[in-house]
Amino acid sequence: MVPVLLGTIPFGFVAGVVSIASGLTPWQGLALSLFSFSGIAQLVTCQLIAARAPVAVVVAGAAVVSLRFLMYSAALAPHLAHLDRRWRALLAFLMTDQSFASTMKRYSEPGDVRHRHWHFLGSALTLYAFWQAAVIAGIVAGAQVPASWSLDFAVVLTFIALLVPVVRTRADLAAAVVAAAVALVTAGLPYRLALVVAAVAGIAVGLAIERAHGRARHR
Amino acid sequence: MSTWIAIAAVSLVTFALRAAFIVLADPQRFPHGFRQALKFVPPAVLAAIVALGLGVADGRVDLSAHNERLGAGLVAIVATMFLRSTIGAVAIGMAALWSLQWLARHTA
Repeated sequence: MVPVLLGTIPFGFVAGVVSIASGLTPWQGLALSLFSFSGIAQLVTCQLIAARAPVAVVVAGAAVVSLRFLMYSAALAPHLAHLDRRWRALLAFLMTDQSFASTMKRYSEPGDVRHRHWHFLGSALTLYAFWQAAVIAGIVAGAQVPASWSLDFAVVLTFIALLVPVVRTRADLAAAVVAAAVALVTAGLPYRLALVVAAVAGIAVGLAIERAHGRARHR
Repeated sequence: MSTWIAIAAVSLVTFALRAAFIVLADPQRFPHGFRQALKFVPPAVLAAIVALGLGVADGRVDLSAHNERLGAGLVAIVATMFLRSTIGAVAIGMAALWSLQWLARHTA
């Protein structure tokens, strides 16, 4: 858990700085962080608000980057089915990439699994506290940093750090390359639609390559 | 005001996606094709964000050597492939950007 927390601090700090750089007030930056509790969703929301995209496009952008939560939700659901609704809602709210990974690992270990949601709650609440503290530090610092430092570029860099490890297979690489190319070709589209169009194109190509590969293997 | 509406809507959407199967639906009914497609969401979305962040300068696509962000981003991509560290990527990328900006100012 400790390396995860340490890795989260600079990311949260950048998310706080960026919310101010994007023109959000400190209270708006804090509210976005407290209620969405997702670094990627926060950064995309800030970027789109800074680009003066309409509300519907901001929400669509944040939804597209958060689709992975659906996958996590489906994977965790059987383990949490015995809990009452309030517990499940609380754990769902606190679910992140990090707590999903550590919780799934915990549930795969042998022994009594009925009380493991306490582990989920403990690690998720710790992460929540550290994340919000880092975001607040970033919000406070963000108001002091001059624009000439180009700190907004740090957001793109955190996205690079997220992108590189998720490109594992040839199909992943094809999805990434196609999405990047389509994003640049469609960059002129209004309302920042390039992001959504590029994501759909990349996902389609990744799927097509995986299906073709799977069929070749079955033959 | 529209910023507050966006913040509320984004918060609702992120919660709804997290809660979808844990609180509401039965994951058995999750179609296989959709699950496969979700696997490609992270590489596709992140690559599109990175491409727009590096390749668009002043509202225009610029893939030339004058675009310091593109150069610095490529340095950061290579560095991340070896380091696998968020702090490392940010530190190296920012250092590369400031160096390239300094060079551009002093060679023009």
